[in-house]
Amino acid sequence: MTRKSLDQTLSFLRSLDRTASADDVARLLVTELADLGVTHVMAGTVPTRGTPSRQQNAHVFLNTFPTDWGRRYLARGYAFKDPTVRRLSTHQGPFAWGETRATCRDDPEGQRVMDEAADFRLRDGITIPLVTLDGEVAGFSVSGEHLGFDPAERPTLQLIATYAFGHLLRLRGSDKAERAKLAPREREALQWAAEGKTDWEIGEVMGISTHGVDFHLRSARSKLGTTNRTQAVAIALRRGLII
Amino acid sequence: MIHIVTPANEFRYREEMEQVWRLRHEVFVKEKGWIDLDRPDGREIDRFDTPHAIHFLAIEAGRVIGYSRLLPTTRPHLLSDVMPQLCEGERPSGHDTWEWTRQAVARSHRARGKAVNPVSLALLTGIVEWGMAHGVRQLVLQMPTLYLLHVVQLHFRARPLGLPQAISGEDIIATTAEFDERTLARLRAVRRDAAPVLAPSYTYIAA
Repeated sequence: MTRKSLDQTLSFLRSLDRTASADDVARLLVTELADLGVTHVMAGTVPTRGTPSRQQNAHVFLNTFPTDWGRRYLARGYAFKDPTVRRLSTHQGPFAWGETRATCRDDPEGQRVMDEAADFRLRDGITIPLVTLDGEVAGFSVSGEHLGFDPAERPTLQLIATYAFGHLLRLRGSDKAERAKLAPREREALQWAAEGKTDWEIGEVMGISTHGVDFHLRSARSKLGTTNRTQAVAIALRRGLII
Repeated sequence: MIHIVTPANEFRYREEMEQVWRLRHEVFVKEKGWIDLDRPDGREIDRFDTPHAIHFLAIEAGRVIGYSRLLPTTRPHLLSDVMPQLCEGERPSGHDTWEWTRQAVARSHRARGKAVNPVSLALLTGIVEWGMAHGVRQLVLQMPTLYLLHVVQLHFRARPLGLPQAISGEDIIATTAEFDERTLARLRAVRRDAAPVLAPSYTYIAA
């Protein structure tokens, strides 16, 4: 397995920027990491012990686990027994699930969670511990029947997971204004504006009047909550609305 | 309050800058064990502390409780001279790009339990306030990969310059971190304080 190159990783991060929902993030990760054996991803903050299962859901940002496994995990309070979750509070760097085996020897409950996960074809996994700005402990896991990660690739996986987690937090916290959708003509006009074209030039390439261009750009600015063209271009670029 | 110290006003901050060198020694040499920086006088000053460096001081009742340094990327800085291996492509350089280094908070002012303490947030807010007023668009950072989450959470647009590399036992990544008024708004929201953190500059009044 070759180490993912910087270019590949950067283009992966750019694709992450463009995802608009947790489901999109999950799909992208599973697709991009499929050749390394990843079939499932899971991300969330660690609930404090005793959090009722209904509220535990709020801690899960992303989860593609088989439904039956997810249900059982919640119903049986596995979040508090899972050795990979426990390790989040004690370790900083990424770890493979196999590394928890040693601690499981004296921990039959933990061992049972791992065994049952294996029954759901989640035998192998890597978890990346994270700490949010608020100091909340969080984790990001990729898993499958057998993962093909080289240990040398872990730092890159950590980078991707950290970035993806930040994006997930942004998606959760973003207000409606941040998710403004541009109409196709607004996007096109703004895309040309980003290339440095004048209203007249944009009108020529779009086959509309200068007045029409002004109309679309004005509308895009108002949707993005900005007052000038430069700011509108900057925000649209940042949100991946234009490229 | 965050005070900016440059050659233009350092004559008014002699005592505070002495505290800075000692705080830096305390944090980087004693705590982090970067023994290369050790000097017999217990003042951590390196070759990048030139008149081109900009010092950000968090001062509370005459005491320096936090510090950050910005270096121009148009001159030698850490990414160019000390850790060039962290940047695989073209190194970002320009008047709108400054390198953020030597982030330090006095041990007495580190909040427990919280990942990012208020003094660090105030310093970063001061850096962004200064940057926005001086046509600066982005910072260059070198940090453990873990901290990238906080950068993203603070609405910086982070772009890795290379893949993480192990440096004295830690995976370190270099990124650019672009900021704008949204970053400043976010910093102020996280700090729960919308007021500017930079101390007013009296340079012109004095002149």
